[in-house]
Amino acid sequence: MADVLTTRNLVLGYGATPVISGLDLAVPAGQFTVLAGPNGSGKSTLLRALAGVSVPSAGAILLDGRPLAAMTPRERARRIAFLPQAPLAPEGMRLRDLVRMGRHPHRGALSRWSRADELACEAALHHTRTEGLRDQPLDRLSGGQRQRGWIAMTLAQQSPILLLDEPTAFLDLQHQQEVLELIADLVAAGSTVVAVLHDLIQAARHADHLILLADGAVAAAGPPTAVLQPATIARVFGLDVTLLCDPETGRNICLPRLRPRQRA
Amino acid sequence: MKWLVATLVLLVALALLAGEQRIAPADLIEALLGHPDARPDQVFILRELRLPRVLMALMAGAALGAAGTICQAALRNPLAEPGLIGINGGASLAVMVMLLALPGWPAAWVPAAALVGALVMVALLQLLGAGGGSLQVILIGIGLSAFCGGLSGALAAFGDPVALQRALIWMAGSLLDSRWATVALLAGWLLPAGLVLLLMPHWLDLVRLEDMVLSGLGLRPGPLRAGLLLLAALLAAAAVAACGPIAFIGLLAPHLARRIAGPAHAGLLPSAALSGAALLLLADTLGRSVIAPAQVPAGIVAALLGTPFLGWLIYRSRDG
Repeated sequence: MADVLTTRNLVLGYGATPVISGLDLAVPAGQFTVLAGPNGSGKSTLLRALAGVSVPSAGAILLDGRPLAAMTPRERARRIAFLPQAPLAPEGMRLRDLVRMGRHPHRGALSRWSRADELACEAALHHTRTEGLRDQPLDRLSGGQRQRGWIAMTLAQQSPILLLDEPTAFLDLQHQQEVLELIADLVAAGSTVVAVLHDLIQAARHADHLILLADGAVAAAGPPTAVLQPATIARVFGLDVTLLCDPETGRNICLPRLRPRQRA
Repeated sequence: MKWLVATLVLLVALALLAGEQRIAPADLIEALLGHPDARPDQVFILRELRLPRVLMALMAGAALGAAGTICQAALRNPLAEPGLIGINGGASLAVMVMLLALPGWPAAWVPAAALVGALVMVALLQLLGAGGGSLQVILIGIGLSAFCGGLSGALAAFGDPVALQRALIWMAGSLLDSRWATVALLAGWLLPAGLVLLLMPHWLDLVRLEDMVLSGLGLRPGPLRAGLLLLAALLAAAAVAACGPIAFIGLLAPHLARRIAGPAHAGLLPSAALSGAALLLLADTLGRSVIAPAQVPAGIVAALLGTPFLGWLIYRSRDG
């Protein structure tokens, strides 16, 4: 499978201790890639740079072999959609209006709302099962509904690559599951999705490709089961883990070991 | 919105009829049209005094209402208003400098000085706030305004008392100086800005989103916000140049409009312009008829009415 996004000797952040220094990684096309790692390992910083919304201080990000920096923001946004972590919903804004914002990269300054714009929004509402919520103000929706609304906005952008920063943060379990299933549907339909996730169990079960970051460098990358080895987890998180096998996917699940007196 | 238009029409009629010289509703049309039967004094009052004054109030109020709406969207802060980005501070300082430090200059240049002062302050704000978030821009605006206030105060302390009084009257914000010439100048300035405004609702809806989201949509949030603030500054500076710094209209109008038209700018922006026009016209009409023949400047009436409104707004937002 071809790599759609690659970085070469990437440096992010300034000063003597950049967040990311000399990073080389590759995001495979048409797969769900999960970025994981301890707090401060540079996951969000890296995702923002991959989305082109922050500028690297050195190195390059290539989209299909072309430098991201050489594209106009609008051109870039038609290829890559980005959703930051827990964005604030403007007071009173209705979900349908938010989703329509996703069409921005496809519209000229003076162009009218087109049939294609309408179809893209309808498809986005349909995929995220938010058709019934379209007239609701965002601030009246539940956390899970609102997150689906934000994802609908990025889907209306119709970009083949989707970058999501902690799309399951602050959601309860069934809404986290909804978001992960939505991602699986999108990947099945041909999208490339990269998401930052905190939960290694979710990462293990849902990711096609897992990248573990530690101290601004790639500690391990590959299929989840290959990455989730006790020695790797000890190195990245400083934790002893016990390995289970997920009965549904056959993949490695890591659980932190309990202290002796907590064990049964 | 149609209620807003109806209220505005009613206020215009009221403003033309009320004042030191009351005019009977029946005589209004005749006098306005210059009918041969109309009383010449009424024709003069209406055509040369009240009509230009009403038009000034409508235009300046609409400009302040629209500018306030743009400020609140671009700075993502419901308490933002044109005064917050240094317009009033800059204009007041420039007028103080002209009246107190440069006594030889003709008084007719006061609006030009105010305009230059306001625009210099906005340029300074953009320069200092470039690359910062909206909170930085607001803080720099407050800082610059305070600095202007300090300089104005220093000038006032050593200034000539007669010139000082003229400066203070200007600073209260009034529509006393409403002549057809000023009306034409204001209209000439606001017309192009008004045409640009027609394109704005879409952009104003967009800038309510966070910078990171805007970047993801292929926008450059910094220049976009700066451009919108510049437009707000051009609108508000024209109003300040014509009438002096008028407090609260730029803050009140968008909030009133939001209650009427909701948060989407396709409805909010025109409603805020209409609300601003109505509020300033109401303030001016009250100011010149309640204790006629004495006149209370519209800026003072607006502040007296605006402060309780602001209190109510804060109370309501605390209720959530």
